[in-house]
Amino acid sequence: MTLPKHVYQAFEDVVGAVNISDDPAVLDSYRYSLAHTAIHLGPFYNTYTPRGAAVLLPGSAKEVQAIVKLCNKYRIKFKASSTFWSAQGYPSEEDTIQLDMRRMDRILELDEKNMFAVVEPGVIGATLQAEAMKVGLNTHIPGSGCSCSVLASATSYFGSGPSNLYGGCYYDNLLGLEWVMPTGEILRTGSVNSTGSWFCGEGPGPSMKGVARGFLGAKGSMGVFTKCAIKLFAWPGPKTLPVEGVIPAYKVSLPETFRAYTLAFPSWKAWADAAHLIWDTGIGYLAHRQFNMFGRDLKFAMVKILTDPTKTLGDLEEVLADPEVQRITKQSERDFQIILVGMTARDIAWQDAALDEILNRTDGWKVEAMNVPEIHDWVLLYLIRLGHKNLNLVFSGGYDGAFGLLGAMDYGAAHAEEAAQFKKTWEKRGAIVDAGGDCMMGPIGGQGGGGTGLWENFTCFDPHDRESVEGTLEFFDACTKLGLEKGWGVGMEKWNSVARGSDGRTTPKAERDRMHLSAPQPSVFRYQHKIREAFNPNDLGDAYYETLEDE
Amino acid sequence: MQEKKAQLIAIVGAAGVVDDPQVDESFLLDHEARLSMEPHFLVRPGNVEEVQEIVQWANQTLTPLVPVSSGGPHLRGDSLPTAPESVLVDLSGMKQILKIDRRNRLALIQPGVTYSQLQPELQKEGLRVVTPLLPRANKSVIASLLEREPVMSPKYQWNLLEPLRSLEIVWGNGDKLYSGSGVFRGEKEEDWQKGMVPLLGSGPGQLDFYKFVSAARGSMGIVTWASVKCEVYSESRKLFFVPAEKLDDLIDFTYQLLKFRFGDELFILNNTGLAYVLGGTAEEIESLKNVLPAWTVIVGITGGQILAREKISAQENDIQDTARQFELKLMSEIRDCHSAELLEILLKPSREPYWKLRYKGGAQEIFFLTTLDRTPGYVDTMFTAASRHQYPAEDIGIYLQPVHQGTGCHCEFILPFRRANGHESGRLQDLFSNAALSLFRQGAYFSRPYGTWADMVYNADAGTLMAMQKVKDIFDPNHVMNPGKLCF
Repeated sequence: MTLPKHVYQAFEDVVGAVNISDDPAVLDSYRYSLAHTAIHLGPFYNTYTPRGAAVLLPGSAKEVQAIVKLCNKYRIKFKASSTFWSAQGYPSEEDTIQLDMRRMDRILELDEKNMFAVVEPGVIGATLQAEAMKVGLNTHIPGSGCSCSVLASATSYFGSGPSNLYGGCYYDNLLGLEWVMPTGEILRTGSVNSTGSWFCGEGPGPSMKGVARGFLGAKGSMGVFTKCAIKLFAWPGPKTLPVEGVIPAYKVSLPETFRAYTLAFPSWKAWADAAHLIWDTGIGYLAHRQFNMFGRDLKFAMVKILTDPTKTLGDLEEVLADPEVQRITKQSERDFQIILVGMTARDIAWQDAALDEILNRTDGWKVEAMNVPEIHDWVLLYLIRLGHKNLNLVFSGGYDGAFGLLGAMDYGAAHAEEAAQFKKTWEKRGAIVDAGGDCMMGPIGGQGGGGTGLWENFTCFDPHDRESVEGTLEFFDACTKLGLEKGWGVGMEKWNSVARGSDGRTTPKAERDRMHLSAPQPSVFRYQHKIREAFNPNDLGDAYYETLEDE
Repeated sequence: MQEKKAQLIAIVGAAGVVDDPQVDESFLLDHEARLSMEPHFLVRPGNVEEVQEIVQWANQTLTPLVPVSSGGPHLRGDSLPTAPESVLVDLSGMKQILKIDRRNRLALIQPGVTYSQLQPELQKEGLRVVTPLLPRANKSVIASLLEREPVMSPKYQWNLLEPLRSLEIVWGNGDKLYSGSGVFRGEKEEDWQKGMVPLLGSGPGQLDFYKFVSAARGSMGIVTWASVKCEVYSESRKLFFVPAEKLDDLIDFTYQLLKFRFGDELFILNNTGLAYVLGGTAEEIESLKNVLPAWTVIVGITGGQILAREKISAQENDIQDTARQFELKLMSEIRDCHSAELLEILLKPSREPYWKLRYKGGAQEIFFLTTLDRTPGYVDTMFTAASRHQYPAEDIGIYLQPVHQGTGCHCEFILPFRRANGHESGRLQDLFSNAALSLFRQGAYFSRPYGTWADMVYNADAGTLMAMQKVKDIFDPNHVMNPGKLCF
């Protein structure tokens, strides 16, 4: 659809002619291929998200507010995105106004003493981290990586990542926020209204932040967030990361108070025991099962390649043939990475000793091959900065997560091996990368202080190969079937199919209703429907905000 | 009346309904200028089904309900009916500890469970729950957490609602909902073994349901159980004092401990506040006030279950070094008060009478959130207001409690007074109103706006007011839950 001239003009009057376009070529650059990495939806070959009616780049909350009011006036759906991670950031309805928030990219405040920053949507994790480190602070980086918007992750999606353990996930760290609600009214939550300071996001009284996001955010379907405050945490390292090395083997040498270990265990039970002991003891700065995303059989070979600038992916088979690589691969089957950071020399000495005692109690070990300087320093940079997201796609250009067992450590640990072996049988069919079945990665601690985990089974495929894409979809369908049979529920491979279908458009209502009615608490979606009616009466978002009408 | 009574008896039985309940005198400690009402009945449900029936009945009869979980004295008036013909819903009889899960460090408790009941049971399992400063022995743990009462150990608060997790909520419309991951409520022991446990507070889904009942004072619904995150219990503990004559001298030191998350308990008291904590009688308090340092940081170190002594030693030395850096001293004893004595006091609920009432029999609190660096300014304002109203500044207890790992700070002024003295009460009421307004104008965030604070706060925050009313209409469409509170 082309917007009527007077409507286009009204939007142009808000943002200026250079910040609006309905040129088809521009609009097509704001579409997303579902064959690439649909993120928990299933890859669909040669399918794109719908073309928008226009794309606008607002420069302020005031402009956003004016745009949203016009959308209400003309009953046009809108969707804002800051860094466009995955299909969720793109409309699922035709003729949607797309807001590209990249112009609003200021760090408005960095409060060193009270450890928080106030950011606009376009501020990415890497930028905030770099600025925070200058004053001895750090920010959580979500699993989507440091090139993603801090605000988008904190307000609108999930916000989990390797630094959950010490730094807290974005759910924990989101303080006050500024929200242009779907009607165009502005809500600021917490202390800022009374005090002008953003240090608290809750209240006064019942917290209306609970409308803005719950376990998940509204994924761009309920208005536009224009500012938020994010809690930071201590960074006892240098003011800038002293990055060195040759691409892709960038690494960082940090003070003696930093440690990067890969720990491995004889059983999943021991693996979970160690996680619990780490949480109970209160050690650790980051903890993640990270490099297993390359697969149980390939991970150490990939680490060797990625830390050696003379090697490429083409050397994989040769590296895998090395008996020493095979020995270490076997040694690190059930592993995870942990970074210890001492606030002082005594602190790191105690954490180190405590970790040794935990390994002693669980029969675990440190994978010493991961502790050589070039790998140790690469791991430090990888996990602290989380800037290597290109490696999600390194094997074949496409990936998505399967299973996604989420919850108590014992719950996931009890089923991880079965899920891994199931995937292994599918890897032999050839559509997905044969990596060892167990490609589970996720945080050791899904929230601040630990307590939960997430097992995302990375599934890599070739988005340009129809057989690979369709074979992956077949595998994902089988995963979902298995999850339902086993009582694990629908895995992450289909989490977003409730909102968007195989054509890239909104899932038909009957299908959405069927899924919501089969949820453990359908009333959750009924309440979300009531909230949508109250806060978004013209229904100008898409089905990523999940609702169910009363019977 | 009799018809209503019969209907309530049909729900909870005759023993569960009390006619014309006498509102405890302690309710009247709330000296705010607003009308209170005598409730018609008090009803004691024994389970969630009865709670649901009571709420549904209230919707049918449009009867206001006022949930109460804790025993008295109630200082803030939230349990005091402000609508006619109210029914008090007394949840104190629902006091089962449903589960203690050592592996996942969770306790699943009903609303009548108190701190004095819970801590010994947790200790048997090697756990403890972080507590507010000297809660009343009969204080409901759930009520305290729902009210976002600050806890002494900010390092464990990754968010402001910690350690509260999943809830079973009966909304004002009578619906029951499990918030967080409460749908995994471990009704069968094997579910706990499998790890299907209510670990999460947020959600489920895209709303944060437990935030709607947080600091709502029963105006949205009734919580019938909650899962609470626990910490590891350790016998190895130490407590230290870091005294100073000026509050400003302690601020940067405290920030440094917060930043490095050194210390477990961490808060600041003025001499009067510390005297109220330590003193058993008015005479003891009077004498302590005169000898204690003007300001003291209280910092505790907990050993944990692995290398406990080594941890305590490392942190003690590090905190010592930090203190020196700010020209302060880490001490185990100040003016004949040994830290072990204080630790013993802090690890238990308040002795009777309640610590804030011990000096003069009555006390008015003024508390709000701010940031630690701004607290000296508020202290000045409070003292100025006290002087203006001829209230003795030396009687003002001050408690500064960092929250949410140091991002914010609870600032509390405790103003004791003699309830029987009408002149003193009246003067205090004036001070209370004027000081709160001055502090608010200075930027104090009354995040839990009790009584008359609500008007002050919501008048300045129309956006929140509007959003709250929309949410209220969804979860309590007939406004039967504790009407007259907040902005409802």
